[in-house]
Amino acid sequence: MTRTSDLHEQTYLVGRAQARAALDIDAPTERSRFGTFAITFGVAFAILYTICVWKNWPLFTFHPAVNKLDFGWHPGRSGEGPAMHWYGWLVLSAVGASVLSWIATIVSAQWLYRATIFSCVLAALWPSLFALAVFTADRVSFDAEFLKSVWLAAIPASAGAAASSYLISSGWAQRLWTWWLLIVPIGALFVLAYSLRPLFLR
Amino acid sequence: MEMMFDLISPRTFWRILLFIHFTLAVALLSAVTLQSLSVSMPMRQVAGRFVARFPAVRTTSFAAAIVALYVPQVLVGMWIYTKYRIYVRIPMEQLGHWWIVGGFDGKEHAVAIGMALLPAYWYFWRQPLKSEDSGMRKGLTVLLAFIVWYAFINGHIANDFRGVGS
Repeated sequence: MTRTSDLHEQTYLVGRAQARAALDIDAPTERSRFGTFAITFGVAFAILYTICVWKNWPLFTFHPAVNKLDFGWHPGRSGEGPAMHWYGWLVLSAVGASVLSWIATIVSAQWLYRATIFSCVLAALWPSLFALAVFTADRVSFDAEFLKSVWLAAIPASAGAAASSYLISSGWAQRLWTWWLLIVPIGALFVLAYSLRPLFLR
Repeated sequence: MEMMFDLISPRTFWRILLFIHFTLAVALLSAVTLQSLSVSMPMRQVAGRFVARFPAVRTTSFAAAIVALYVPQVLVGMWIYTKYRIYVRIPMEQLGHWWIVGGFDGKEHAVAIGMALLPAYWYFWRQPLKSEDSGMRKGLTVLLAFIVWYAFINGHIANDFRGVGS
């Protein structure tokens, strides 16, 4: 009886060890502070840069012909050549991404994973729902101009993002976190390419 | 800058800078292409031909070189970009070469996104390499290779419109 019990115990322990080993293989690695900073920076920069380009929010405007800097967005002035906003978009996005990445290194991992899901889903849903609302408003027979408000689209987008970050399991949130580093920049490149459509269709 | 222009003409100075930009681009293109081919190809036992030897390349040593080339390349590009905006883009717009303008605008966006990926790229290629990150390493390397190729081709097209030798 004792031997049977020992055998059973051993089988149980071996089974648990195998299960733990299998879990260890699947479990994503804990990231160092630099790793957390670097991954968050890549994701945050792609989102912030796309927003800066979309909304035309440079930190400053450079006028290369006269070597002048203006704070914020400025058009090219007569006799002073063209205005350049790219440097301003870059600096604003880099500063914003650096701040977010630093915050990422001090919050708990679970908060970070869920906040990343919230931000990425919001970044995808908000413009998609806004585009859908504009598309709908242009095609319905009644007056639906109110649908063209960017803030109206923010309400369902925020709700969807909050639901996604709340409902996803901790394991999946952790596994998905690293992959945002590829998903978000590739998505941002598609959005930015789409924003150049008027130049290609001219 | 004024002292520099006492020694060489502004035209020569910008041509030298454009040539440095081109040289760095070729070096970066070679390194990132080799690394992305190496991570994309499965390991092979028999390394008889040139293509078959790609996976045997020590890809980890390329990562530092790629970061070290990408950053100065972007900085030189950002400097030259002011001249592009005044002396190249305006004639492009006046002559209606909107495809080249659009392609070059796409280059500035792609290069910016690529620059922001460099810290993570360097992190994933640091020794000792973690086997569970191999997919991410491969993805980042291929994405960077795509960005560098796109930037190179569009930079070359813009140079052909108005640059060295055009």
